[in-house]
Amino acid sequence: MENIETKLREEAKRLLLEKKADVIVGYEKGTLPLTATPCFITTPEEADKLVWNDLCTQNLAKFVHDLITQHKNSQKRVKPEDRKKKVIGVVARGCTTRSLIIHLQERQYGRDEVYIIGVPCTGYMDVKKLKVAVNGADIVEGSIADGKISITTAEGEKSIALKDVLAESCRTCRFNNPIISDTMVGSPVPAMNPDHEYDDVSEFEKKSIEERWTYFTKEMEKCIRCNACRQACPSCYCPTCFVEQSQPQWVGIGEDKTDTQVFQLMRLYHMVGRCVDCGSCVAVCPMGVDLRKFLKKIDKDCWELFGNRAGSSMEDTPPLGKYSENDKEEFIFNP
Amino acid sequence: MAENLASKDWEPKIVAIVCNWCTYAGADLAGISRIQYPPNVRIIRVPCTGRINPFYIVKALQTGADGVLVSGCHPGECHYISGNLVARRKFAALKSFLSYIGMEGDRTMFTWVSASEGDRFAQVIRGVTAKVKALGPATKLKKKLG
Ligand code: SF4
Ligand code: SF4
Repeated sequence: MENIETKLREEAKRLLLEKKADVIVGYEKGTLPLTATPCFITTPEEADKLVWNDLCTQNLAKFVHDLITQHKNSQKRVKPEDRKKKVIGVVARGCTTRSLIIHLQERQYGRDEVYIIGVPCTGYMDVKKLKVAVNGADIVEGSIADGKISITTAEGEKSIALKDVLAESCRTCRFNNPIISDTMVGSPVPAMNPDHEYDDVSEFEKKSIEERWTYFTKEMEKCIRCNACRQACPSCYCPTCFVEQSQPQWVGIGEDKTDTQVFQLMRLYHMVGRCVDCGSCVAVCPMGVDLRKFLKKIDKDCWELFGNRAGSSMEDTPPLGKYSENDKEEFIFNP
Repeated sequence: MAENLASKDWEPKIVAIVCNWCTYAGADLAGISRIQYPPNVRIIRVPCTGRINPFYIVKALQTGADGVLVSGCHPGECHYISGNLVARRKFAALKSFLSYIGMEGDRTMFTWVSASEGDRFAQVIRGVTAKVKALGPATKLKKKLG
């Protein structure tokens, strides 16, 4: 880890000095113990703030899209000949590069507007799981080394294996190495455990229809419609989301429970061929809604029906934007 | 379904979203030919099934439809060449996802009816009505008004 971090900082410095990138989006140490938070590095001196460890959670592709969009909007009133191009450097692991690929496929920006510093990933720690592991005690101090987390809480010291509190998405990750990159820091690592990625979904599919509906409604009842999941998701970048549209108003804004169900249902559906299973939405949800149970089904269907894994290749195109004459048709009603 | 048993003469409300070029013309033909089919469907005409936002289907269910039927031109016969093929992908994913979360599969139906198939149109409506009737009134996802 240390070694990757040093190389990462050097690389960031070089890019800023050589003006190959205007800003580097990466992670820095968080203000709370055992956290890392996204940061924006604009000067070579700041590059030493960058970290790369098992606490880096959020998918940074979100910020790449935000920065580029913001910059493009700011250039609208500038004469065409005076317009400046900005290059955003980004520290990207497998899922982040998948999101970048989705942005590129959806023509959100050009490949030359991002500089991808690829890093291999072995999964990140799920803060909520850690909280459960320490029985909700306040964490005063903590460090992580060689797959072991040492924590000091108000109640005393504790040591927890990282693999016990690894995020669900990471446990079975297939694409933990960057798919595209301009430069690689660190060498590729083996895939996590992709053969079991759909175990959870297959098990849920086997349940009875009423059990499934009860689970769905129970999960959705937790949701407070804070929209954090949408804000964190790199694939949710529409300037006006259907949630806020008023003509037509797609979903009511009250506390009716069907409105929440419809909101979730539609956000989930918008992820067909677009969810990279980065777990960012799950990580930011304050209510612990089990979004992954549903997102992974969308991913599974997309693979089984259309042979597509979101953002897994630059050559692919969005699965709902195309068709094949031999697409499965069993669901069509023939009286 | 208690509500269903309580009111013996309950009739389902079914929303049929159909494309202008094939199924709507097929429905017309059924009408001109005086073919009888259950009056439970409310037909909404759209230019092409490719134009149907899957949201329409979910919204219909939320606002009181007991079933939704979507019908367009047979594959290869789309007026816009491939609208129905793109739609087929969207609906495959939607239908599968709706049943995954625990909605009854028979409440959302997809089919193809061409302009010359007045007979088939009536048959489809009969089939869908029977299936939705068997399920009883929709309760899931449905907003309680008032
Ligand atoms: S829906 Fe969640 S897991 Fe999927 S890409 Fe968006 S933030 Fe990541
Ligand atoms: S982050 Fe959680 S609580 Fe907030 S809108 Fe999303 S699912 Fe609901």
